[in-house]
Amino acid sequence: MTQPLLRVEKANTYIEQFHILQNINFEVQKGELTLLLGRNGAGKTTTLRTIMGLNPATSGHVFIKGEDITSTPTYKIAKKGIGYVPEDQGIFYELTVGENMRVAMMHEDDATKERLEWSLELFPDLKKFWKKPGGQLSGGQKQMLSIARAFVNETDLLLIDEPSKGLAPVVVEKVIEAVEKIKDHTTVVLVEQNFYMANRLGDRFYILDDGLSVHDGYMKELNENEELKRKYLGIG
Amino acid sequence: MMKRLQTSTWVYLLIAFVLMLLPFVKDDRWFLFLMIQIFVFAIFAMSYDLLLGYTGIVSFGHAMFFGIGAYSVAVTMSRLDSTFSSFLLGVVVAVIISGIVAFLAGVLTLKLKSHYYAMLTLALAGMFLYIAERWRSVTGGNDGFTFRIPELPGVLQDHRNVVIYLFTLLSMVLLFFGMKRLTESPLGRVLVGIRENDQRVESLGFRIMPYKVLISVVSGVIAALAGVLYAVSLRFVNTQVFDIEVTLDALLMTIIGGVGTLVGPILGSAIMNLSHHFLSDLASVHWIFQRWVILFGIIFILVVIFFPNGIVGTIQKKMHERKMKQRVKQVEKQSAKN
Amino acid sequence: MELFINLAINGIAMGMLIFLIASGLTLIFGLMSVLNFAHGGLFAWGAYSGVFFYVLLDNFWLGLLGAIVTGLLLGWLTELLIVRPVYGNHIRQILITLGFMLVLTEMLKVVFGPNIINAPTPEMFQGSWMIGDITIIKYRAFIIAVGLILFIVMYSVLKYSKIGLIVRAGVMNKDMIQALGVNIKLVFVLVFMVGSALAALGGALFAPSSGAIYAEMGLEFGIFAFIVVIIGGMGSIPGSLLAALLVGLANTFTAYYMPILSMVVTMIIMLIVLIFRPQGLFNISGVSNK
Ligand SMILES: Nc1ncnc2c1ncn2[C@@H]1O[C@H](COP(=O)(O)OP(=O)(O)OP(=O)(O)O)[C@@H](O)[C@H]1O
Ligand SMILES: [Mg+2]
Repeated sequence: MTQPLLRVEKANTYIEQFHILQNINFEVQKGELTLLLGRNGAGKTTTLRTIMGLNPATSGHVFIKGEDITSTPTYKIAKKGIGYVPEDQGIFYELTVGENMRVAMMHEDDATKERLEWSLELFPDLKKFWKKPGGQLSGGQKQMLSIARAFVNETDLLLIDEPSKGLAPVVVEKVIEAVEKIKDHTTVVLVEQNFYMANRLGDRFYILDDGLSVHDGYMKELNENEELKRKYLGIG
Repeated sequence: MMKRLQTSTWVYLLIAFVLMLLPFVKDDRWFLFLMIQIFVFAIFAMSYDLLLGYTGIVSFGHAMFFGIGAYSVAVTMSRLDSTFSSFLLGVVVAVIISGIVAFLAGVLTLKLKSHYYAMLTLALAGMFLYIAERWRSVTGGNDGFTFRIPELPGVLQDHRNVVIYLFTLLSMVLLFFGMKRLTESPLGRVLVGIRENDQRVESLGFRIMPYKVLISVVSGVIAALAGVLYAVSLRFVNTQVFDIEVTLDALLMTIIGGVGTLVGPILGSAIMNLSHHFLSDLASVHWIFQRWVILFGIIFILVVIFFPNGIVGTIQKKMHERKMKQRVKQVEKQSAKN
Repeated sequence: MELFINLAINGIAMGMLIFLIASGLTLIFGLMSVLNFAHGGLFAWGAYSGVFFYVLLDNFWLGLLGAIVTGLLLGWLTELLIVRPVYGNHIRQILITLGFMLVLTEMLKVVFGPNIINAPTPEMFQGSWMIGDITIIKYRAFIIAVGLILFIVMYSVLKYSKIGLIVRAGVMNKDMIQALGVNIKLVFVLVFMVGSALAALGGALFAPSSGAIYAEMGLEFGIFAFIVVIIGGMGSIPGSLLAALLVGLANTFTAYYMPILSMVVTMIIMLIVLIFRPQGLFNISGVSNK
């Protein structure tokens, strides 16, 4: 068995005095798109923040390519090639689209420029609104900007938190297409409540409930398991 | 719980009783003066603790209330006559003005982050000092003015300092128990809730603003009373009562003694006043003792970093931890039995 | 008219000095929500070290440089020893920086003596120009020019340079900028040092215009700077400039016409802002006031 790209091992995370994540176990294989499912408040966002070091785990471990990054500062984790698209997209509202991209670029080499070109082809809107402040973009455009921004550096693993949230179905379709293209280039962890989107993109899934990891498997299994879907995802 | 509370009350009362007897043992003018200062600043620091310890509000303008109290009583007594009724009038004026100022400051900034309260009070106090220094016809500026206090009947007049000593001691004891009651009442528990977690208390359905404003007002008024006692004990007042250093004294006393304990500030006042007294004597030994503010500033910084609960707070925490450990042991024993 | 223009120039010059203190304060707050109550102390240290180096080396410019270096060093020390141990705890931050303010002020008296020190005006800026009926004091004009230049430099750096973008992005969303690979703590140390140096430079520029310096000036100007930050909005440089000019002008005019009101008027402006726009005139979105 090959070493997983990302491994979360018995992670416990507290926010202030609240014990949010309880012994989370979680593995991501290189090249796959892994879904993180679960109802509101299950701890999906907190899991991604724990991986990024924004809410570091107080016990347990997070490994990237075998290296323990549990208490590595966020910026160093980012430099290891982990991109993050947060739930609120994290757009710098007063910076223009272009400036948002520029702030994100860790290097200004040809490879970065190539990826930038690629993203702009993928999301033509960004090119169109290059000089517009990020705060004035539509919800879908913000999502695109956030994804493009996370992907502009060399990315081994992309963490995306609910990209379909609050978007119209047409726009969701666009986002799905974009993620489909991106997943050919990098490994993705996707938090998603929209089951349609999840189903189209996911290879493997993990279900969280109340800060615990309760189930995992291949996407196919989840599709066939009506009870699981009803119990934790409210579908069926 | 009830039992423990009573023991501590008895201890406090015993200490108060011993303090009451002190002047009859040692009727030394300087000693009495030092003790009176300790009591006055203990009241002032307790009022500060009420604010900081029970609501998490940092005020940098507490001197303003102290100064309002000191000047209210000094001006009424020097302008009118030195009778008890003008003293009482001065106290009423002090309470009203400080109450209004505290109310306004609270209403304007308490809905904002603690920074704003700190900044606004700092600026307000700066303004009071500035006005006081320029309004010399009333305040006497930095030179200040002396005033007379009412004559006491008969033999008491000969032991006036002892009377003032007992009076400030009594005020301190009464205000201490009053504030203790306040902090242990249901309202007090809401206050601690405010300090611990604004949002949660809010979600419990308390609208916290009025509580914060109320505390701001109570604290301001008690600080003004401390100012009244200060002016009366000195029979003199000048604009230094508005000085930021007065606020800092209260802050240091509270932090060193222990925030949120009420006893801490009394202890802090004793430590600060005594060491100020003795360090000044040491000034000829080494220059650092002359610049004792540096010393205190550094101690203060170290306390905030390494010792944030202060003396009383640390002791209480230790005691609490020990009790918890004992309880855990008991539980373990019992579960072992079963 | 002549009087009006003179007062206006004085007010603007004073505003520029306050701006130099407030700009650092506002960025330090915006970036890490650290409210540094010792910031005014840097102003006083700048004034003293400026005069010290000016007299020692007999060169005004070297005096300013000395103040800047002092500011950078003290800023670095403050961040390292005072602010860093209490990150994230606002109350302890407020307390500890205020304690440090005390130490800074008293240390001035230890190092330079407790008395007021005279501050000479460099020869080239002595006297005044006459333009028609209007006398313009050269040194005041110089202060205004320096303030404007620094504002433009600061503004352009923040607006166009990569580090400026990073600082602004950090003010807006601290988590995100780190998730993009930026060591925000390092950036913060840098901003802290530059902010301190600006305050120190402000002090060094202030000294000749007042003619005398004293240890407590740090606290006085620090208070002005806090008011300006409240009025202008936390984290905003243009807001700071505007508010500083407003406060400077209001102060100078009332000081002339109604001296007793000069401090009160600043407070009134602040109160009005607090009541109607508690987030300040300019406020970078993402800096919450709650
Ligand atoms: N700052 C915070 N303080 C206290 N509790 C928090 C905080 N942030 C999150 N929580 C709690 O942690 C739990 C998990 O939150 P998290 O945001 O990770 O859930 P989620 O699965 O992403 O939910 P959603 O689908 O709504 O985005 C929730 O119960 C939430 O209330
Ligand atoms: Mg979430």
